[in-house]
Amino acid sequence: MNSFSRRSPNTKIHVFDVRPLPEKISKYFTFDPKSVTFHGGDITSEDDLSDAIKGSKCDVIVHSASPMHGAPQQIYNKVNVEGTRTLISAAKKQNVKALVYTSSAGVIFNGQDVMNADESWPYPEVHMDGYNETKAIAETEVLECNDIDGLATVCLRPAGIFGPGDRQLIPGLRGVLKMKQTKFQVGDNNNLFDWTYVGNVADAHVLAAQKILSSSTRSQVAGEVFLITNDQPTYFWTLARTVWKADGHVDNYNIVLPRTIALGIGYISELVASILKKEAGLTPFRVKVACAHRYHNILKAKEVLGYKPEVSIDEGIRYTLDWMDESRN
Amino acid sequence: MGKVLQLLQHPDELKAFVQFKCFRKSLHPFEPTEARSSLKRCDDLLNLTSRSFAAVIKELHPKTRVAVMVFYLVLRALDTVEDDMTLQHDVKIPLLRQFHTKLNTTDYSFNGSGPNEKDREVLVQFPEILAEYHRLDSEFQDVIKEITDKMGNGMADYILDDNFNTNGVATVKDYDLYCHYVAGLVGEGLTKIMAHANFINESLNQDNYQKSESMGLFLQKTNIIRDYQEDMQDGRSFWPQEIWLKYTNSLASFHKDQSEKSQEQALYCISELVLNAMNHINDVLVYLANVNDPSCFSFCAIPQVMAVATLATVYNNPDVTHKVVKIRKGTTVKLILESRTYPGVVRIFRHYIRIINHKSRVNDPNYLQIGLKCGELEQLCESLYPTPGAIPAGANPHKLEINETVANRQEIDEKIEAMIKEEEFKTQLLLVSLGLLLALLSYLAFTFFN
Repeated sequence: MNSFSRRSPNTKIHVFDVRPLPEKISKYFTFDPKSVTFHGGDITSEDDLSDAIKGSKCDVIVHSASPMHGAPQQIYNKVNVEGTRTLISAAKKQNVKALVYTSSAGVIFNGQDVMNADESWPYPEVHMDGYNETKAIAETEVLECNDIDGLATVCLRPAGIFGPGDRQLIPGLRGVLKMKQTKFQVGDNNNLFDWTYVGNVADAHVLAAQKILSSSTRSQVAGEVFLITNDQPTYFWTLARTVWKADGHVDNYNIVLPRTIALGIGYISELVASILKKEAGLTPFRVKVACAHRYHNILKAKEVLGYKPEVSIDEGIRYTLDWMDESRN
Repeated sequence: MGKVLQLLQHPDELKAFVQFKCFRKSLHPFEPTEARSSLKRCDDLLNLTSRSFAAVIKELHPKTRVAVMVFYLVLRALDTVEDDMTLQHDVKIPLLRQFHTKLNTTDYSFNGSGPNEKDREVLVQFPEILAEYHRLDSEFQDVIKEITDKMGNGMADYILDDNFNTNGVATVKDYDLYCHYVAGLVGEGLTKIMAHANFINESLNQDNYQKSESMGLFLQKTNIIRDYQEDMQDGRSFWPQEIWLKYTNSLASFHKDQSEKSQEQALYCISELVLNAMNHINDVLVYLANVNDPSCFSFCAIPQVMAVATLATVYNNPDVTHKVVKIRKGTTVKLILESRTYPGVVRIFRHYIRIINHKSRVNDPNYLQIGLKCGELEQLCESLYPTPGAIPAGANPHKLEINETVANRQEIDEKIEAMIKEEEFKTQLLLVSLGLLLALLSYLAFTFFN
C-alpha cells in the first residue's frame, strides 16, 4: 500500500483481508489509511471476493495473502492453493485485467544449496516443506491461467523478506541474542543469503502491476516469474552479527561448529527435546538453513521490470530494529 | 636460510618453486645475445630498473615486447625526473611538461639527475631507447607519446600543487585522480598497445578506458595502503583525508601512537581503504577475461593477483602501521604459475576474497560493507565459473555479456592448462624421485654404519 501510494499516487487502493486494517499504523508507513477502502472477507469464498472486486472495480489484483511459516498443512492448502484458485476464478468472471501474485523464492529450494539461481531453475522434485510446495502449486496455476487478452498474470518470488512488520528473520535473530547464543557459529560462513527489504519487494509489485497494465509492456511480463532480492547476497553470520551489533552486542570470539557436528548435535537435541516434550534450540532444520547457500541472480527483474532495490540491507536492518523498538513501546 | 625454512613450512609453495625453476615453459623466450645493440642496451636498462617487471615484459609476444619495453623505460625516465629532489623547479617542470617532445629526437640524453637517482642511467642512455622507439609501428609510437605527455603534465601539476604537497590527498575523488596519473594512464597505454597488436577484445578499447583505469587503480591503491609506513618515513602519504579523518585527526598518529586505541582506529581506516580498492575488482576480472594472447594475459594478470593477495594480507593487519608487509616469495611464485589461465585467476581472486571475509571483525564500522562487497564478488565468480553441481538439470541460466567472452576464450585457456598439467606432472615426478633417492641413501647409510 505504501509503495503504491508513493510510486503511483493516483491509484485507488482497496484492501481485501480477513483481519481489518490496524487502527494505528507505524511511522514507517506514510500512506493515509483513510484513502484505502477495506473489504473484509475470506479468500476461499468466491462470493466475498466477487463482492470486493465489484465494489472496487479494480484493474489489477495484487495477491499477497499467505499464512505464516509454521502453520498446519491444511491451512497452507486452503489459503495458498484453494484461495488462489478461487481468486483466479472470481477475477476472470469479473473481467479483471491483471493479477500479480506474490510467490516465494522458496519454491526452488529443497534444503540443498541454491547458488546464483535465476528463473530458469526448475522446481525441486521434493519441496522443502508444505508451505513451499503449496506456493509452487499456486504459482503454477497463476501462470497457467495467464491470458493476455483477459486476465494477464505475473508471479514475483521474493527471497528472505525482512523489514517493519517482520515477525521472523530479525525477531528470530534478536531471540538468539536474548538466549545469549550468539557465540556459536554453525558452518564456515562462506554461504551467501539473499535478504530482501520489504519496501523493495513492495516496489517490485508496483512495477509489475504498472508493466502488466500498460499495453506496451504487457506482453513482456504476462505469464512470467521474477525473482526479487536486495541484489546484495550476504554471508549468513555476517548479517546475524550486524543485527546483534546494531543492538550493541559484539562477541570477542566465536565458537565454530562444523556443519556435520552441528547436524549430529541437532539430531540428538531434537530427540532429547521430544522426550522432554520441549522445543529444541538447535534442530537439524536450523543447521541446514544456517549452512546453505541461498542466493539468486535478479538480472531479469532488473532488465524487464526495471526493478532496483531502493533500500539497502543496512538501512533495512536499521528500519526494522527501529520499528521493533517502536512497536514494543 | 630463513627462506628455505619458510618453503619447508609451505610444501605447496616448495612444489611451486621447483616447478617454476625447473619446468615452467616461457611462451616466447627472449635471447638478448641475438638482439641488435640498442635492444640489448634496453634490455640491460630494464634489468637495471626492475627485476619483477623485466621478467614478464621479456616473455611478452614479440609483437608487443619491444613496444612495452620502450613504454616502460620512457615512463621510468619520466619518473626519475619527477622523483629527483636535486632538480630545481625551473628545470624539472618544463622537462616533465615537454618530455614527450624528446621522443621526436634521436639523440636526447639527460645527464643532470642527482647522483643518488638509481635509474639515472635510463636518462643518460636515452638515445638507445629512442633508437628502439623509432623502429616501432607509428601507432605504438603515438600511444607512448600521448601517455608520456599526459603523465608528465599530471606530475608537473602535482609538484606545483601546494595544497597537495602540504596536506596530501584530500578527497576520495582526488585519490582516484592521483592514481589515474600514476597508474590509470599506464593501463590505458598498455590497453592501446595490446589492442593495436590485436591481442585483446575491442571492448576494452571502447569503454573510455574505464576498465583499464581500474586495472591501474587496483594496483596503485593496494600499494598505497601497504606502503603507509615507508611513505610516512619519507614524510608523505597518499591515504585520502576524506577517509582517514573518520578515524584520526592526524594520519601520522597511526604510526606514532602505538596505543591499542590508536591501532584499532588504524585497522578500521585500513579496512575502509581496502573496501575502496575492492570496488575495482569487478572491472579487473572483466578486463582480464578480454585479454586473449596468453603472454599478455600473464603480463596483465600477475600484478593483479599479487595485488589481491597483498590486499588480503594488509587487511586487518596491525603490522601495516609500523612494518613493511609483504607476501611471501613462495606465494608469489605460486601465484605466477596459477595465474596463467582465466579460470586460475578467478580461483585466486575467490580464494583471497574469502580470506578477506574471514578476517573481517564485527567491531569494524565497515564490517557489513566488506561482507557485502565480498558477497557481490563471489556472485560474479560464481556466474563466471559455477560450482560443479550448482546448476540443476533443466536450468538454463541467463547469460551475462561476460559469459560469452569467457566461453570464447576457453580454447586458449585449455591449451595453457594442458601445458601446466605437464609441468606439474614433471615436478611431481622429480620430487618423488628425489624422495625415493633420499630414502634409498639413508637406508644404505643406515645398513652401512651398522
